[in-house]
Amino acid sequence: MNILETKEVSKSYSSHKVLDKVSISIKEGEIFGLLGPNGAGKTTLIRMINQITAPDEGEILFFGNKLKREDIKNIGYLPEERGLYKKMKVGEQAIYLAELKGLSKKEAKKRLEYWFERFEIGDWWNKRIEELSKGMAQKIQFITTILHEPKLLIFDEPFSGFDPLNANLLKNEILNLREKGATIIFSTHNMESVEEICDSIALINKSKKILEGNVYEIKEKFKQNLFEITIPYQENINPLIIEGCQITNSIINKGKLVLTLSIPQGRNAELLSNILKQTNILSYREILPSMNNIFIETIKNNE
Amino acid sequence: MNKIKIIIKREYLTRVSKKSFLVMTILGPILMSLLIFTPFFLSNIEEDRLNIMVVDQTLSISENDSVYLFRNQFKNSDKIKFEYFDDIETAQSILKEGSVDGVLEIVKTNDTPPIKGFMYYGEEDIPGSAQEEIKNQLTNILKNSILRLDYGMNEKEIAWVNNPTIDFYTKNIFSGEESFNEIKTLLGMIAGFLIYFFVFLFGAQIMKSVSDEKMNRVVEVLVSSVKPIELLFGKIIAIALVSLTQIALWIVIIFGIITFAQTAAPEIFTIQQEQTINIDQRIITVDQINATETPEASELVRGLFAINIPLMVGMFVFYFIMGFLLYASLFGAIGSLIDIDTDGSQFTLPITIPLILAIICLPILSDNPTSSIAFWLSIIPFTAPVAMMVRIPFGVATWEIILSCGLMILFIAGSIYIAAKIYRTGILMYGKKITYSELWKWLRYKN
Repeated sequence: MNILETKEVSKSYSSHKVLDKVSISIKEGEIFGLLGPNGAGKTTLIRMINQITAPDEGEILFFGNKLKREDIKNIGYLPEERGLYKKMKVGEQAIYLAELKGLSKKEAKKRLEYWFERFEIGDWWNKRIEELSKGMAQKIQFITTILHEPKLLIFDEPFSGFDPLNANLLKNEILNLREKGATIIFSTHNMESVEEICDSIALINKSKKILEGNVYEIKEKFKQNLFEITIPYQENINPLIIEGCQITNSIINKGKLVLTLSIPQGRNAELLSNILKQTNILSYREILPSMNNIFIETIKNNE
Repeated sequence: MNKIKIIIKREYLTRVSKKSFLVMTILGPILMSLLIFTPFFLSNIEEDRLNIMVVDQTLSISENDSVYLFRNQFKNSDKIKFEYFDDIETAQSILKEGSVDGVLEIVKTNDTPPIKGFMYYGEEDIPGSAQEEIKNQLTNILKNSILRLDYGMNEKEIAWVNNPTIDFYTKNIFSGEESFNEIKTLLGMIAGFLIYFFVFLFGAQIMKSVSDEKMNRVVEVLVSSVKPIELLFGKIIAIALVSLTQIALWIVIIFGIITFAQTAAPEIFTIQQEQTINIDQRIITVDQINATETPEASELVRGLFAINIPLMVGMFVFYFIMGFLLYASLFGAIGSLIDIDTDGSQFTLPITIPLILAIICLPILSDNPTSSIAFWLSIIPFTAPVAMMVRIPFGVATWEIILSCGLMILFIAGSIYIAAKIYRTGILMYGKKITYSELWKWLRYKN
C-alpha cells in the first residue's frame, strides 16, 4: 500500500515555478530517497507534505485519502533548517513540542524517559539547550522528531551538521524505526550518503521529477556491464582477454593487477574460464553505477 | 484551537517567570512615584545659606531725611542672608578673605532704569536661583519704593497692588460643572502615553520573539505541527495577557501605595466642604474667593470625580487592545523578516513613525482637543489609540468614537491579513535579503 502519493503537484512563487507536475509514490515501510541538487524543489515538496505550504495544483494522498490537518500527528519532520529554543530547558521543550503534535503531557513524559535512558542522557532534563554541545542538541532534536511515533518520518538533509558519531547513531535508529514499521523519506543532495540504505528513490532536477523507482531496478537499468577483476601481476594480459571485451582501466596495486572490463552480455563465464586457465582470479565483482552517475546520465538523456 | 492554547501557555509562562518581568513590575510603580515625589523632596532639602553683603550707593537727600532705597529692605530667606555695609572697597576685601559669599553693589546711573546692581563673588559661582532671587528682590524693592515715596501708598495698599495671581475658573455653560481642564489634560496624556509605551514595548518584544524563533531555526519544526497563524497569534495573545497582567499588578501596587499614603497623610484626600462661587453673582468679595481656595491635591481628587471614569477606563482598555493588535501583528510580520545576517530596521521605521507622530502631537492635542488636527489624528487608526485617549477626558462626540473604533477594527483586520501573509513566508525565508518589492510579491502568493 502506498503511504503517500503526490499527484502532479505544482507550485509557483510569482513567475518562478518551483515544482512542475511532480508525482511520486511511496510504499509503506520503505526508505525513500528524494534526491536532487540544491534548489531543485525537494524542500518545497516536503513542506507540502507537512502542510506548511499547499500546492497550487495537484493533490497529495496519505494512505489513499486526501492529506488533511489531522495527519500531521502521523508525520515526523526533521527540517534542514532546524534548531531548538536556546533558553528553554531540555525536558520542558521536548514536552512542549510533543504536546503540539497532540501527545498528552503524561504520555510525552513517559516516552521521553524511555528515549533519554536509551541515549543515556537522563541527567540533561533540566539543562538549557545553550548549555549543551551541538552534538547533544542534535540528539534531543532527533528524539523530538520521532517521539510521537509517526507512521511517516521525513528527514531533510539529515546528516548535514551531524558529527560522524551522531550521524551513525541516527542511521541505526532510523533503521530500527523502519523495523518497527515506520516509512522514511530522506531528502538530500548528497546522493552517496543515502543510496545504500534507500529502497526507492526519486530524482528531482529543476522542479521536475526525472526518475523514480526501486534502487535495485534503476541500477540494473543503468548498469553498463562493467566488472572489476583482480589477478596477480603479469606483463602481458592480452592472451587472457577474449574477443569483444574491452579493458577500460588497469591499475597495479601491491603486486596485483586490478582491471576494469566491459563484458558483453552473457559472456562472463567464457571470459572467467579463459583467465582461470592461465592464472588465478583474486576477486571479481560487478560495478554498478552510482546514483551520482545515474543522475548525470539521466540529465544528459533528457536534454 | 487546543494548540493555540498550548502556545499561549508557554509564551505567557516563560515571560512572567522571567526576572525582568518581576523587576519591571516592582520598579515601574516605584519609578513613577519617584518621578512624582522627587521634586517635592528636593524642594525640602536645605541648601547652604549664602551670605551676601549689600553696599547701597543710592543715597538721596529728601527734605528732612537722608534715604537709602535698599538699606535693610532685603528679606532674608532660606537661601540667602543679607548684611549691609557702607564702603565697597572694604566689602570687597572682606569677600576676598572669604567671610562672605558675595558683595552686591547698588548704584545710581543715568540710564533707564536708573538703578543698577553689581554682583561680586568669590571663588565659587553664585547659584542661578540665588541670582534670580536677588534680582527679583531688587526689582520689588525699587517698585515698592516708587509706590511708597512717589504715590504715597501705605503698606496695605502696596500689598494689594502686588497681589500677583488672579484665580481662574472654567465652567460648562450647559452642565454648570467646573471643567478641571488641567486634570483632564494630565489624565489624557498619561493614558495616551501608557498606550504608546506598551504598544512599543510589547510590539518590540513580539518582533524579537518572532525573529528569535526564526534565528534559532526552531520555527520550521513548530510550523510542521501548528499553522503559522496559530503560532503568531498565540504569541500576540500571550504577550497581550502579559502586558495586562503587568498593568493589573501596577494598579494593585499603586493602590497599595495610595492606601499607605492615605493613612500617613489623610488631609490630601479629604474633600473639604467649601463655598462655591455663584457665577451669576457679578460682584464677588475677597472673602468669598478666599473661602473657595482649596489645597491643590484636593482639587485633583475633585477633578478626578468630575471625569467620566467608566468611559475613560472602558475606552482605555478598548484602544489599548486595538492599538496593540494593530501594531503587534505588524511588528510580528517584521520579526519574520529578520535573520542572522539581516536586520529589519528599514521595515520598522515606517510603522513607528505614526506612533511617534502621535506622541509629538500630544501637547497640541491636549491644548485644543476639538481642533481638526486632533480630530484627524483620533480617526486615523495608526494614531487613534494615543490621540483619542487624550481627547476622551474632554468629551468626544459619540459618532466620532464609533467612527474611530470602526476604522480601527477594519484596519486591524487588514493588518492581520497582511501580517499573516508576510509572516508565513518570512519565517521560512533564510539567507535572502528582503526588499519591499519582494514583500509585495509575497502578498500576492496564493495560500
